[in-house]
Amino acid sequence: MINKKIGVLLLFVVLFSFGANAQRAASMRINEVLVDNEDNFVDDYGKRHPWIELYNTSAGTVNIAGCYLTNDKNNPKKYPIPKGDVLTIIPPHQHTLFWADGEPNRGTFHVNFTLDPATDNYIALYDADGRTLIDEITIPAAQKADVSYGRVIDGQDEWAQLTKVTPSTNNLTLDSNEKIENFKENDSIGIGMTVTAMAVVFSGLFLLYIIFKQVGKFAIAASKRNAKKAAGTASGVSADAGEESGEIFAAIATALYEMSDDNHDVENTVLTIRKVARTYSPWSSKLYGLREVPRK
Amino acid sequence: MFGSILLQAAGVQESFLQFLGKNLELFLTYTGVYNATPGHIIMILIGLFFIFLAIKYEFEPMLLIPIGFGILIGNIPFKDAGLQVGIYEQGSVLNILYQGVTSGWYPPLIFLGIGAMTDFSALISNPKLMLIGAAAQFGIFGAYTIALQMGFEPNQAGAIGIIGGADGPTAIFLSSKLAPNLMGAIAVSAYSYMALVPIIQPPFMRLLTTKKERLIRMKPPRAVSSTEKIIFPIVGLLLTCFLVPSGLPLLGMLFFGNLLKESGVTRRLAETARGPLIDTITILLGITVGASTQATQFLTLNSIKIFGLGALSFVIATCAGIIFVKIFNLILKDGNKINPLIGNAGVSAVPDSARISQTVGLEYDPTNYLLMHAMGPNVAGVIGSAVAAGILLGFLG
Repeated sequence: MINKKIGVLLLFVVLFSFGANAQRAASMRINEVLVDNEDNFVDDYGKRHPWIELYNTSAGTVNIAGCYLTNDKNNPKKYPIPKGDVLTIIPPHQHTLFWADGEPNRGTFHVNFTLDPATDNYIALYDADGRTLIDEITIPAAQKADVSYGRVIDGQDEWAQLTKVTPSTNNLTLDSNEKIENFKENDSIGIGMTVTAMAVVFSGLFLLYIIFKQVGKFAIAASKRNAKKAAGTASGVSADAGEESGEIFAAIATALYEMSDDNHDVENTVLTIRKVARTYSPWSSKLYGLREVPRK
Repeated sequence: MFGSILLQAAGVQESFLQFLGKNLELFLTYTGVYNATPGHIIMILIGLFFIFLAIKYEFEPMLLIPIGFGILIGNIPFKDAGLQVGIYEQGSVLNILYQGVTSGWYPPLIFLGIGAMTDFSALISNPKLMLIGAAAQFGIFGAYTIALQMGFEPNQAGAIGIIGGADGPTAIFLSSKLAPNLMGAIAVSAYSYMALVPIIQPPFMRLLTTKKERLIRMKPPRAVSSTEKIIFPIVGLLLTCFLVPSGLPLLGMLFFGNLLKESGVTRRLAETARGPLIDTITILLGITVGASTQATQFLTLNSIKIFGLGALSFVIATCAGIIFVKIFNLILKDGNKINPLIGNAGVSAVPDSARISQTVGLEYDPTNYLLMHAMGPNVAGVIGSAVAAGILLGFLG
């Protein structure tokens, strides 16, 4: 019993740890970096500094408070992202920008290191434990001024120099719904969609049909087996038990009755064979969803 | 002295009367009578017609009464003065209730209740009936194709096509994702045609079948064990959702509700899901969908087109189901043939379309009861339309 409880507890722990993972910062990515900011985006103080853009790749909100940004492989906890700032809560598929100006006293989004255009710049994002690396990138040296280095499509693997600098917005600007445009261009009549979708609907229900045909066969075989077993138990007493007429049972019962009541006076007795019917009750009704009494 | 007082009083009285007059004039601009347009009157008449159909002919009263009354609520004209009374005004009571429709969380809850009240025995005992439920989904894609030709965008055409699934919650769910601006018309159209199934389907059932086919007697369904009934929702969920994960909100809740029912150990939960919960959501869904038909937003050419396409999609779905059975019968042995009158039940209007099969079947043979057989394709249609919605969402969302 205790083992069972421990098992259930462990199961919950595993389940919750999986669930918790979705809420953590693991889905954040370093998305775009501008190392040499000469004539680009300015911060709230009207100053130009290098900046680092993070992107939430997940469909859930992520709070990055407590995570770490660093430019030093040996010091993962270099800049702890402050807690208690609502702006560290990043909505699904949204961006946030950190200024690499070495001025952390200017606010949550100003880190305590800078980026140097003359050398390679290592940037990493660590989880709140300070050990789990979420994402890292090394920006090659000699980046051009006002040209950022970022992922071609938000959150995806390919990095490139981006002449179209996009702080806090999508790296690839979409001006139409690609899926819909694709259908408009290639399937203007709708035949492609009809054929594909009907094929999927039919396959799904056909698979269900195949599975339940087999399940049905098993169920029928099992019920026959059970019926045979039940018949076999009865035949343990006599091969053709149950085939005798009611009169024989009545005669045997009368004989037993007379024998057991031998010491008593003879009384008027009527012996009948009556069919036993189970009376209806809502408590035993299948309609009310109760389980059937196991048949043994 | 006295005269000047009188003059002063008269002046005060005059300005007071002016004040009252202006107030009354202002009040009049707030009344429904002042703001009414012919569109409002038309919509109110439609609402009254729905209520009439529900009470007089008992056409889906559970849907048509809330929707019909919702149309009345939604079409009381008012001045847009930020009083937070309209369903489209952010923060109004109706708007808050409408979130369940726009965010798409009413439909999965309805599916939970449907799952908890559906007995899949007919389908499990004769699983080939599932294929009829698949065939009837041609209604969705037939309407999708025609909608494209009428100039709708693919995402709008997908949302309109789903009306052919004859499943109100699915239609609302999909249109809220693919074409929120058409959702009111799609929802009202889907529910209206579901209520009109007894009028739409029988003529096509008679037209497409011969007398001999209508008299086909099907084998009585075998008894289904409780183990099979428990396996069904689990396998059904895993199989359909692994194939079409975007159908998860609807299929997940449908099969979950069914497991609550069939497991036999969660009787209270099943009773809640198929009783108070589904009733509550039906009320909220019906009234808000009805109220969303504000004449200013609803009475457009697109709405009329959607109503036309909706009717067409029902007809295509009905015909596809019946024709599929007729073709299927060509490969079935004599004792296993299916009565094509249950083909119409492939649309997922549960249980109305199955009832139509029974009614039409009894007209030709008063001892041939088709209801039990028709429930098979009927519930398969629920699964099929949810899968189809998932596909459309996956492709066009």
